[in-house]
Amino acid sequence: MPATLPPAETLADAPAPLVEVRGLRTRIGNKMIFDGLDLEVARGSVTAIMGPSGTGKTTLLRHLTGQLQADAGSVRVDGEDVATLSRRALFSLRERIGFLFQNSALLTDFSVFENVAFPLRQHTRLPEELLRNIVLTKLQAVGLRGAAQLMPSELSGGMARRVALARAIVFDPMLILYDEPFVGLDPIALNQVLRLIRTLNHTLGITSILVAHELAAIRLVADRVFLIANGKLVAQGAPDELAHQDSPWTRQFFGGEADGPVPFHYPAPDYAVQLGFGGTAE
Amino acid sequence: MNARLRDNWLLDGIARVGECGLFFVAVLGALPKSLRYWRELFRQVWFVGAMSLVIVMTCGLFVGMVLALQLYYTLSIFGGTAALGTVVALSLFRELGPVVTALLVAGRAGTAVTAEIGLMRATDQLDAMSMMAVDPLAYVASPRFLAGVIAMPLLACVFNAMGIFGGHLVGVSWLGLDNGTFWGNMTSTVDLHKDILAGLYKSIVFGGVVSLIAVFQGYTAPPTSEGVAYSTTRTVVFSSIVTLAFDFVMTAFLT
Repeated sequence: MPATLPPAETLADAPAPLVEVRGLRTRIGNKMIFDGLDLEVARGSVTAIMGPSGTGKTTLLRHLTGQLQADAGSVRVDGEDVATLSRRALFSLRERIGFLFQNSALLTDFSVFENVAFPLRQHTRLPEELLRNIVLTKLQAVGLRGAAQLMPSELSGGMARRVALARAIVFDPMLILYDEPFVGLDPIALNQVLRLIRTLNHTLGITSILVAHELAAIRLVADRVFLIANGKLVAQGAPDELAHQDSPWTRQFFGGEADGPVPFHYPAPDYAVQLGFGGTAE
Repeated sequence: MNARLRDNWLLDGIARVGECGLFFVAVLGALPKSLRYWRELFRQVWFVGAMSLVIVMTCGLFVGMVLALQLYYTLSIFGGTAALGTVVALSLFRELGPVVTALLVAGRAGTAVTAEIGLMRATDQLDAMSMMAVDPLAYVASPRFLAGVIAMPLLACVFNAMGIFGGHLVGVSWLGLDNGTFWGNMTSTVDLHKDILAGLYKSIVFGGVVSLIAVFQGYTAPPTSEGVAYSTTRTVVFSSIVTLAFDFVMTAFLT
């Protein structure tokens, strides 16, 4: 196993944050995604990252795993500066991170069992029987031991996400990144995923970072919320605390107001001018 | 890639060729590691090779039959129909076998490889592998590339054999050429090195070219349905053009 974790209690007390982002700047094409973003994620916590669509929440997750390089600033995960890691060191770091893709990203050629077994088969030489037991344990944890022989095409969206979660935890990672884990789930599946995130955090002490929009779900599961907008961190705190904070950003975001710091209108030339009333039309 | 470069289709094309070259180097670099995934390589050789057998055998048969029919007519003008077996075999070994097989494989297996990898990209499967610390170049790209290099010459041999069989069917069974003349002239004229092996070298190179283009197009396909469709088309177009261009160059050097 690549990572051995001390019990959850000691992790929560540990002072050094697991994830530390300092002065992150990223530009994709002509768009500034991050403009000096700073944040810290404590070990053993469940942290939600929220923000209007297109603010680069998924991009942030890709920075944490070294899939994307920043233009400036630093991203440290478990004390290691992700940008300076060699390919081998980066892959070894990734073995300690589980990543739950929004569309589950199960390998379509393999059954559920083989999908969960895939990382084990690639990185270990475990005897078949032990491997089988590990995979079945993980599938049991997500309630899908009975679906082990199904193919990904036979799964519902919620089941696929739970299989992806089983695959993400097969190495008992220190950190799981969830990219929009609640999108497209019916209320039952949503609650199942919520419960899993909480259980993994409690029982295994896994630090979780989730990118999501669902306020109600986040209030149930997250210890801390970071609100990102315009490339910066605009608010942070416990979910309930943030919901009552009186800043234009939190008011608009948590109140679900259509207009505010995030404008309703996409930037456009002057309306009257464009319609031909007064001045010259574009 | 900066925006100005993208506006010019010529520069854009040259840049893509450069990207493909770099990709080729990366695929070669990942080859040693990809040998660990030998099961995947077997699966791909099966897919590119065995699954293309039907189309390659059928086309080989008909190409050989047409060839014999056309050449019989031409040769009869000069009273040289006895050379039919030789000419059919030489045309197949030296030219038609490698080239037509490459075009068929590009259409059947190349497009499937592009679409498969393109969809794996679009559904984040490649990213997921990379997140599980498995290099997608070694696990996905290199085995598919190597499978093409292995399967293509084998398929070309099958194509040639079926072609000669088709030629024999038309020449001997239908048009009444003497069986001994057909085989005798062929075996005494066709040279192992200059004809058979030269054709085999060609098809190894074509195998590399076609599978490299298919894998590259899939790997760099925009992650949309339109992007994957467009890349699949480009696989056939580029494979065909490059195969025929390489054929000319290699023929010039090998003869």
